[in-house]
Amino acid sequence: MERKTIHTDFLIIGGGTAGCMAAVEMKERYPQCSVTIMEKAHIDRSGCLAGGMNAINAYLNKGETPESFVRYVRADSCGLVREDLVQSMAELFEYGVKKVEKWGLPILCDDDGNYIPRGRWNIKINGESLKPILAKAARSAGAKVYNWVTVTNLLTKDDRVVGAVGFSLRNGTFYVVQAKATLIATGGAAGIYRPNNPGDASHKTWYSPYNTGAGYAMGIRAGAEMTSYEMRYVAIRTKDAIAPTGTIALGAKAPQVNSDGERFMVKRYADLGGDGAPTPYRAHGPVQEIKEGRGPVYLDTRGLSEEKVRDLKSAYLDMYPSQVLYWLANGIDPAKEPVEVQTTEPYVVGGHCQAGYWVDKDRRTTLKGLYAAGDVAGGAPFKFVSGCWAEGIIAARAMGRDIEKMDSVAAEDHLVAAEEERAFKPLRGHGKVRHGIRPADFEARLQKIMEEYAGGVSTHYEMNEKMLTIARDRLAKLPEEVEHLVAGDLHQLMKVHEVIDRIDVAQVLVEHLLYRRETRWPTYQSRTDYPDRDDANWLKFVNSIRDPKTGGIEMVTRPYEQVVPGDRYNAK
Amino acid sequence: MPVWVDPEKCNGCNGSSQPPCLRMCPGDLIVKDHAENKAYLKYPEDCWDCLPCVKVCPEEAIEFHLSFQFGSKGARLIPHVPRKGSQITWDAVDLKGNKETFTIRTKIMQVALDEKVEGGAEAIDFSI
Ligand SMILES: Cc1cc2nc3c(=O)[nH]c(=O)nc-3n(C[C@H](O)[C@H](O)[C@H](O)COP(=O)(O)OP(=O)(O)OC[C@H]3O[C@@H](n4cnc5c(N)ncnc54)[C@H](O)[C@@H]3O)c2cc1C
Ligand code: SF4
Ligand code: SF4
Repeated sequence: MERKTIHTDFLIIGGGTAGCMAAVEMKERYPQCSVTIMEKAHIDRSGCLAGGMNAINAYLNKGETPESFVRYVRADSCGLVREDLVQSMAELFEYGVKKVEKWGLPILCDDDGNYIPRGRWNIKINGESLKPILAKAARSAGAKVYNWVTVTNLLTKDDRVVGAVGFSLRNGTFYVVQAKATLIATGGAAGIYRPNNPGDASHKTWYSPYNTGAGYAMGIRAGAEMTSYEMRYVAIRTKDAIAPTGTIALGAKAPQVNSDGERFMVKRYADLGGDGAPTPYRAHGPVQEIKEGRGPVYLDTRGLSEEKVRDLKSAYLDMYPSQVLYWLANGIDPAKEPVEVQTTEPYVVGGHCQAGYWVDKDRRTTLKGLYAAGDVAGGAPFKFVSGCWAEGIIAARAMGRDIEKMDSVAAEDHLVAAEEERAFKPLRGHGKVRHGIRPADFEARLQKIMEEYAGGVSTHYEMNEKMLTIARDRLAKLPEEVEHLVAGDLHQLMKVHEVIDRIDVAQVLVEHLLYRRETRWPTYQSRTDYPDRDDANWLKFVNSIRDPKTGGIEMVTRPYEQVVPGDRYNAK
Repeated sequence: MPVWVDPEKCNGCNGSSQPPCLRMCPGDLIVKDHAENKAYLKYPEDCWDCLPCVKVCPEEAIEFHLSFQFGSKGARLIPHVPRKGSQITWDAVDLKGNKETFTIRTKIMQVALDEKVEGGAEAIDFSI
């Protein structure tokens, strides 16, 4: 395979929401520096934003401050977040949003030119083409983009990250990118657990099925410290279509009801805020209704005016068009019938929850030369697009400051060669290895273990030490079977690496789930053997570091620090 | 089958080696059969139903279908993206054939018919 070496000042792995914004910030602030983006798809329509967006979900509407945002996010995350990170991103929401508006994103405004809120922290946009808008800005700023390059690993030298390697999906070129500073922005991980639907809808997941935890896995393999994987994200979504429900719940103010028409959140979770209870409880509530025989669960849209229904459909067309086709194909009129909802399989995602790299306030990871932003970065939930932009900006600025002290260091050639061998080996196995395993079959094995023993949908997301120990033991067999994976072409080679990455993520996830002996975020992390929250022992972060040499996963804890005063469980 | 390229309508974007539908799929699921000069969805089971492919096809050759497990055939959702202007129009057709049209503000982003791939895009034979 042809090898191509590239030298750059800044490398961005993953040209998504955070990555594109970081590229612009780098080029604007440090125009003399070169910026390279490696992206597995095409940056015009890659990652979470491919289909579009209809709201910016983290914004300081009139009267709100970074501190009020921290108080809200802290209570919403059951009293434990990295407040320094949440606050620093909130300070930059406006900066990022105004920029994207200038680039052409239509944001809905009232007659006085003020953004129209959709709920307390959200503003409405017509974001069907948000991703190509960002991509164009990154390109115009002067970032060099390598589309269709799947990054397989970081390059390290003496505990420092000095770049990354990947292969072209189009021609198989092996790219060796040597960088002074590297930003990882590959998003979170879907596909760790068995998805809601089978067959030709198995990738009709809520989270982008093409964000497969590559960034987490590369960091895990390189020995970066990771935090809070145990705070999984279980989304409440429309039934079958798996579309976000904020559009209905916030946009149309529809409450959750069970099959008896009972407003169960109000009835059973009044002390936590009813329909406004912390997000984990808004998933936990419906799961309990269904488990206890009061399902299905709905968002009660009955009685919506014709105009409101049209608004609802328009909003979905901007972000999740298949919801509209679903209603058409089933003859559903949301004004006459409530919209059934369900919960998704768990995702590992640092944007909605806080699984990811352990970073400092400037988004430096624990590996020198490596920074993290967006869904791949930990500790700061409630990020959404605007928080991902903010983190991209923060990281870009820190990289610019740090780079003066850094020179370009080449990775050792034998390490590059070993990675090249690892990257392409499954291709050579094709047709030669007897009984080679296809990536889809490997994925099924992984998902079976996670679904059944690590708190999947069918066990109501519940788990205990015995189950998790089985998951750990079964997962432990998978790395040695990786050698049986085969790929017939470069697309399949990408699929092979996606599943290898997810095994590394799943193993770390199970260790985190085992370690936290309390239930802090019901449904996201429901330990039946430790069903209560335990602030005395567990008001702290659970972190992990995998030893790059032995592969052993070491668990550590880090203290929680309160930055913003006030009741941690009540934002009011 | 979530999306389907109508071979009658697809013109392969003339001689494009990387036509818009193929470039804009975040999962890299669409390929072009160069002999037939037609694009097709090679990996239907991996489709996210996100629709960039449908929106960027200049011939409106790609149809959006729901996986059959989710509902009946016959309903249609068709986006029309103009080359200029600031609006996208969607035709939504229910099972009885009633059509509702939505016109929504957007920023129209031009999509070129082809694009050079770094290092070339020749298919390589990996068989050993
Ligand atoms: C369906 C959906 C709807 C949403 N709706 C909203 C909304 O309305 N409002 C809101 O504020 N937020 C919304 N969110 C959340 C928000 O979109 C995400 O939190 C945010 O976009 C994540 O940004 P990111 O940069 O971390 O990841 P992404 O934008 O997904 O970028 C990650 C990038 O990394 C690339 N990549 C992955 N692996 C590799 C690899 N191995 N090599 C190279 N590149 C790689 C991917 O292709 C992708 O381009 C939604 C999310 C989803 C999934
Ligand atoms: S964009 Fe449309 S016309 Fe062009 S190759 Fe794809 S399906 Fe065919
Ligand atoms: S709907 Fe999305 S995932 Fe499916 S083929 Fe089109 S662009 Fe690709």
